[in-house]
Amino acid sequence: LRLIYTTTAAQRKNVGASGPEKYTEAFIKKQIEEFNLGKRHLANMMGEDPETFTQEDIDRAIAYLFPSGLFDKQARPMMKHPSEIFPEQRKIQWGEDGRPFHFLFYTGKQSYYSLMHETYEKLLNAQKYQDQLIAQDLPPEKEKRNLAGSRWLTKIELEEMLLEKLSDDEYSRFIQLLKKLMTLPCGDIEEKYIQKFSKEVPAQLQKVVIEPLKYDERGVAFSTGKGTRKTARATAVVYDNGTGKITVNGIDILHYFPVLQDREQLLFPFQFLDRVGKHDTVCTVSGGGRSKAGAIRLASAKALRSFVTEKEVEFMRQAGLLTIDPRVKERKKPGQEGARRKFTWKKR
Amino acid sequence: RLTQVRWSRYNPSFLEPEVNKELYQKPWEELSEEEKEKLELKAVQPIKAAPPTVSSSVFSDPMISKFTNMMMKDGNKVLARSLMAQTLEAIKRKQLEKYHKAPEEEKETIECNPYVIFHQALKNCQPIIGLSSITKGGKTYQVPVPLKDNRKRFLAMKWLITECRENKNRRTLMPEKLSQELLQAFNNEGPIIKKKHVLHKMAEANRAYAHFRWW
Repeated sequence: LRLIYTTTAAQRKNVGASGPEKYTEAFIKKQIEEFNLGKRHLANMMGEDPETFTQEDIDRAIAYLFPSGLFDKQARPMMKHPSEIFPEQRKIQWGEDGRPFHFLFYTGKQSYYSLMHETYEKLLNAQKYQDQLIAQDLPPEKEKRNLAGSRWLTKIELEEMLLEKLSDDEYSRFIQLLKKLMTLPCGDIEEKYIQKFSKEVPAQLQKVVIEPLKYDERGVAFSTGKGTRKTARATAVVYDNGTGKITVNGIDILHYFPVLQDREQLLFPFQFLDRVGKHDTVCTVSGGGRSKAGAIRLASAKALRSFVTEKEVEFMRQAGLLTIDPRVKERKKPGQEGARRKFTWKKR
Repeated sequence: RLTQVRWSRYNPSFLEPEVNKELYQKPWEELSEEEKEKLELKAVQPIKAAPPTVSSSVFSDPMISKFTNMMMKDGNKVLARSLMAQTLEAIKRKQLEKYHKAPEEEKETIECNPYVIFHQALKNCQPIIGLSSITKGGKTYQVPVPLKDNRKRFLAMKWLITECRENKNRRTLMPEKLSQELLQAFNNEGPIIKKKHVLHKMAEANRAYAHFRWW
């Protein structure tokens, strides 16, 4: 079982958790002083005001003074605040006599277990509060938190917060506790505590602009749509007041698509909206093989958006008719026979 | 997040599409609170594209598509689909023959819908307990183990297909043999039901080792 879909940013090592101190506090302080001095020198060099010299200005100045053609952004010369270059690390956790400061030091993951203890304490308090409410015969308040706009911290973000390595199991246990805490009615303190571990998801689904209907010479309403699937590219023009005929590259679908599955796919958007015999479609398609049907399906679904209410467009999206299928043929790798198939293993 | 797939072209935040038309035709007031919350959540999350095998028409059935995929050899979906269609046609023909020959009282009990027969036959073939080999102290024991729904369905379909492909049926074509097996399974007779009973008896016989299971 492995972690899927990790970005390169998420795969960077959690330096803060590994090993003892690599640089002392005095060293970091000196680096910060040198950085500030250097910032002022740079501002003077560029002819700008040293008091109002921001990080973006620094980046621009360095890119101007030291132009680099290297591909990797991390390899180019950079001047950043030492807290970004030297990641946070754990201070020494025991005193001069060798006795550790924290009572959970010998568990190995002191910050994780202390966090679990704290969260569980909050949970018990919330349960007590709920019992009090029930004892006073008040109805239980159900505050609806905006689930859609926030997400929990990822495992790597939590590791950075705690400066300790965590296992997937421990991370999932912590998230389960938080979810349990969220279901109970709790006061302001617990709300703030939960907000520490959740992040806003600002990226709303892009509002797609639905084109209005166009009218051709005969006065019949029509709309166009484009679709792709693997290597096939299709454009579909859907006319109103039709008999339900579909023409592809000048040929009727019964001759162009001998396979029943492809024809089912072409009719899927119309059948979903109960408009099977009402629209005429003229399509052009190029490239691909069996995926032509999928491309035309997407194109006709996009064209039908102009004929239909917003709610039905939302229903179509939830049925998976308006998403481009990102699956493509996986590349063949060297040392293997195909994308996944390895060569026959020979013992000798 | 942990899954057994190495990687997928979709971001893990994408949800599965819901193709069933009836769910979308319910008016807003009839939905319960949980469903309303679910809808609101779904409105903000991206959704995967519907696969080409799935359609909202009455003729597409997930169980039938799964069975067709299992029957498919070397990616020849066209052939597998035509065999499936011929099987369903054969079942309908046999049932209609029986219907027209039967006396008036029995006519209502005979089931003619091939989809209903297929689903019922599959249900009858599904085992309840399976056996799993557990090695303890050097010896391997066959331990009775409860099966998940997916596993039950898979075993039923696998038994049906292997039964039709092998067991000395050189002259009969696949649709004919399959329709025969499905009708037998529908009436709780036939070799596949026998196989299921044998498995149950073995599980009952190995009851003593049931405590070896740790999940």
